[in-house]
Amino acid sequence: MQEVAVLGVGLHRFGKTGDDIVGTKSVTELCRTAVDMALKDAGVSWKQIQAVAAASSRFSGGKGWGLNGNDVVEDLGSTGIPVYNMSAGCAAGGNAFNVGYSMVAGGIYDMVLVVGGEVMPKGMIQTSGLEDPNDPEFLRQRCIGFPGPSFWSTLARRRMFDYGTTEEQFAKVAVKARKCSVGNPYARFQKEITIEDVLRSPYVSNPLRLFEICPVSNGAAAAVICSKEMAKKFTNNPPVWVASSAVATMTFDDALPRGLAGPVPTGASFHTEAKAAVQKAFEKAGIGPKDVSFTELQDNTCYYELAFPEEWGLCQPGESEKLLEADQTLPTGSMPINPSGGFVSFGEATTAMGVFQIAELTWQLRGQSGGRQVPNAKVGLAQTLGLGGNATAAILKR
Amino acid sequence: MSETGIPCVAGLFTEEGGAKIYGSKCTSCGTPYFPKKTACHNPNCTDSKIVDCEFGGKGVIWSYSVADFAPPPPHKFDKPFKPYVIGVIDMENGLRLVGQMVNALEEIKVGAKVELVIDTLYHEEDKTFTSWKFKLA
Repeated sequence: MQEVAVLGVGLHRFGKTGDDIVGTKSVTELCRTAVDMALKDAGVSWKQIQAVAAASSRFSGGKGWGLNGNDVVEDLGSTGIPVYNMSAGCAAGGNAFNVGYSMVAGGIYDMVLVVGGEVMPKGMIQTSGLEDPNDPEFLRQRCIGFPGPSFWSTLARRRMFDYGTTEEQFAKVAVKARKCSVGNPYARFQKEITIEDVLRSPYVSNPLRLFEICPVSNGAAAAVICSKEMAKKFTNNPPVWVASSAVATMTFDDALPRGLAGPVPTGASFHTEAKAAVQKAFEKAGIGPKDVSFTELQDNTCYYELAFPEEWGLCQPGESEKLLEADQTLPTGSMPINPSGGFVSFGEATTAMGVFQIAELTWQLRGQSGGRQVPNAKVGLAQTLGLGGNATAAILKR
Repeated sequence: MSETGIPCVAGLFTEEGGAKIYGSKCTSCGTPYFPKKTACHNPNCTDSKIVDCEFGGKGVIWSYSVADFAPPPPHKFDKPFKPYVIGVIDMENGLRLVGQMVNALEEIKVGAKVELVIDTLYHEEDKTFTSWKFKLA
């Protein structure tokens, strides 16, 4: 195994179809901006890229929307390099990073581009739309009507029962997330909001409100990664190293209501794929929760900022609300969570998210994050979670 | 209850002789499944023995949420859309089963006892379509 460096990163600011940010740009155009930025940041030319690991929703089935890595390569100039199109729902960006990392670490390539981008259909994410009784997702939507936000709000409601979490505390997470987004030039939302604003926003799925759930966004993210030997030749930026990258899928004892039914679990085994990915990343890196300077986690809803740190041992079960109330999850706190502003401030451009996190980790570790900078950031943890029981984690260090 | 209801998807449930869903059980490791499976999915079970099984009866609410906005297709509903509660229920039969609640949000609490019922989901072309739901017991 050889050491792997993140040489350059880039983003296209996230926005909504038709707005002043992304307008009517295609996913290929969004990716072009992010890739050009990452190449420039790395000081690398397109022709030096040996392979592309693309996070690709196109191949997840669905409605045919989404990124195809081959389009990105054709747009930048077809050089004949291999393209790996990875699909793993919302974890696809993290999966693409893991595949790119693994191939560089394993010595197959020395310089790989990782890219994810999305132009999202409007509204709640839909399933294939095919009326197929063998498709569990069709059965769940036809027989019950259990959209994504209701899945999350079921977990939020259970947390309220288990730990006494209040609706005001969920709102406070949104306020904190948007506070971080101020001055982040890539976030879709960059203005502070108040608890009253959040509590005035309508329920999408009681107890979760509009401002507590990430909308869908258009956006793109790219990262150029390379071997240690190669990194020595490029000195644009202080080096950022990949301490570990891990992928996991859920286990049979998972307690979450993901389908129509499962066996009643024997314990509170939540998000087994995310926990396993993070634990594997810790083990591979020889780094523990106490060593983490900050975390970028997948906050499709504010609930996750409270639940995930506890599930991974960053803090004790039931402790998240206290840390939140004491401002300890801000960039200047003892357990900074999502200094970028997170999904709640960016909106979700599914396949871009795992790569967007790598970009934020890299900027934080270089000390380039401006007003949202985590002081003296040394180790960053990134995590994604995708439909189908997919999860990834990556630890970057300087 | 619906007297002339048609199941929204055929072969998943019945209301004859009391509300029941059609699932499976592995007689080797005891794992219950819904909908039906052809093989046991428990990685610790070395001898998959799947038999058909009907599940009904009672359970307790593990958690719940509300669909405050109409879900996208393939969900179907009577217009105008009325928000409904979704329950995640730990059944006495060993299933953690998801379904709509018949009751209003104000009545519902984690830990409350419920029973499985078959109830109207939507109407289409003068026909009534049903699904399994839960009712506070």
